[in-house]
Amino acid sequence: MDNKDEIICRCQEVTRGEIEAAIEDGATTVEGVKKRTRAGMGLCQGKTCQRLVMKIIAEKTGQKPADIVPPTFRPPVRPVRIGVMEEDADE
Amino acid sequence: MNKKNADVIVVGGGIIGSAVTYQLSKRGKKVLMIEKGDLCAGTTGACDAYITPHTKAPGFHLDLCLRSQEVWRTLEKELNEELEFEDHCGGLQVCQNQMEYDLCSANSEKLRAGGLEVEMLPIEEARKIEPALSVNLTGALYCPSAGQVNPFKTVYAYMRNARRLGAEELLHTEVTGMIMDGPQVVGVHTTRGDYYADIVVDAAGCWGGQIAKMAGCDFDIRPRRGQLIISEPVAPLIHTTMQTGMYMIIKHHPELITDERVKRLGIGYCIEQTKDGTIIIGFTREFAGYDKSTTLEGIEGILDIACRHIPTLRNLHFIRTFSGFRPYVPDNMPIIGPVDGVPGFFMAAGHEGDGIALSAITGVLIAELVVDGKAHFNIDAFSPNRFKKS
Repeated sequence: MDNKDEIICRCQEVTRGEIEAAIEDGATTVEGVKKRTRAGMGLCQGKTCQRLVMKIIAEKTGQKPADIVPPTFRPPVRPVRIGVMEEDADE
Repeated sequence: MNKKNADVIVVGGGIIGSAVTYQLSKRGKKVLMIEKGDLCAGTTGACDAYITPHTKAPGFHLDLCLRSQEVWRTLEKELNEELEFEDHCGGLQVCQNQMEYDLCSANSEKLRAGGLEVEMLPIEEARKIEPALSVNLTGALYCPSAGQVNPFKTVYAYMRNARRLGAEELLHTEVTGMIMDGPQVVGVHTTRGDYYADIVVDAAGCWGGQIAKMAGCDFDIRPRRGQLIISEPVAPLIHTTMQTGMYMIIKHHPELITDERVKRLGIGYCIEQTKDGTIIIGFTREFAGYDKSTTLEGIEGILDIACRHIPTLRNLHFIRTFSGFRPYVPDNMPIIGPVDGVPGFFMAAGHEGDGIALSAITGVLIAELVVDGKAHFNIDAFSPNRFKKS
């Protein structure tokens, strides 16, 4: 498939074309694509697009999907209300 | 004579290394950058995004920042790329009690004497600039000329321009040793073979101490961990870059801190909103080796004080926490310049939390030192040779 306008990261609205351009600019990891395009920086933190990004990196660079360095996953697992973290939060 | 791969080898692909690579390339040098991971993989990839002259120590440090801002102001045009640079978004240092206010006030006089426009505002005035601030605070130090920038975009823009000027980069390549000819550095051993150059610049940030050691130099550069939090994207809420007045105490008067947790974790906050709408909330300043995890204690501590200062934050969600290392040097000054007794070896590291702000001038300085043999102003205060016992 060759659709440059296809949205790969829905949260940040990053297209396949932008991800391919990032790889051409030197990105070889999911993190490298993320820092260049913001793909994976949105609300879902890459849960939806990570595999797609890995697949595109694999296609473009000839690496095996299994060899592509995955991004670091960080807490929280899903969005958490900031007020909950206050020390005297009453919940 | 060995075959030369470049005029200059730059070790490190963060904002300092890329600034140095670009500025040297601009001055006609053939540069090879060697980075053990990817561009922006270390400190530059996990930091804040502000340029705040008012957080610098009055004197040489502030002067360096003001000069760096001059370079920043023309950088987007020079690199012909958008860097999300905001020259005058303004900076506030928010004081929650009279002690913080008095300390900031005393500091504001020194900053003014150093040539920086700053003023102390009572909280009612500060809230006109930043309405999200709580009415329960005392006031703030205000610096109109504080700015913001996107560090990632800056690094990629520096490197795209440097490549056009002939620079090359080796990513995912680790420097494992220096190639010496007597006392002189003539190249580096790496995980992908040996590379030769007239000059090697150590721009390895938190790992700069290890690189220098390979050249027989002893610099005390330690990773200081900063934990940060990212909120969901929201409509413009925070307009300036803000830190707690406590930040000044932690940075310049650590002896005044009595709270055990603040002392250990260095908790304050710094808050800014990115162009994308996410709010970046820092920070801790703690020594944890190279452990890049985030801790519940750290995150809770930051958000607790941030919510008290900016109550509406309570209603937002946070989507990520992360941490990065700042290259701490005991005298809180970056290490920039040639190293006495080791011809061919230059340092450009140890900027701690000021690396983004100071990167622009650091690149210019290293290029001047390499090409002209001297900088256009006195930089003895940052010389690597200041640690030598006389």
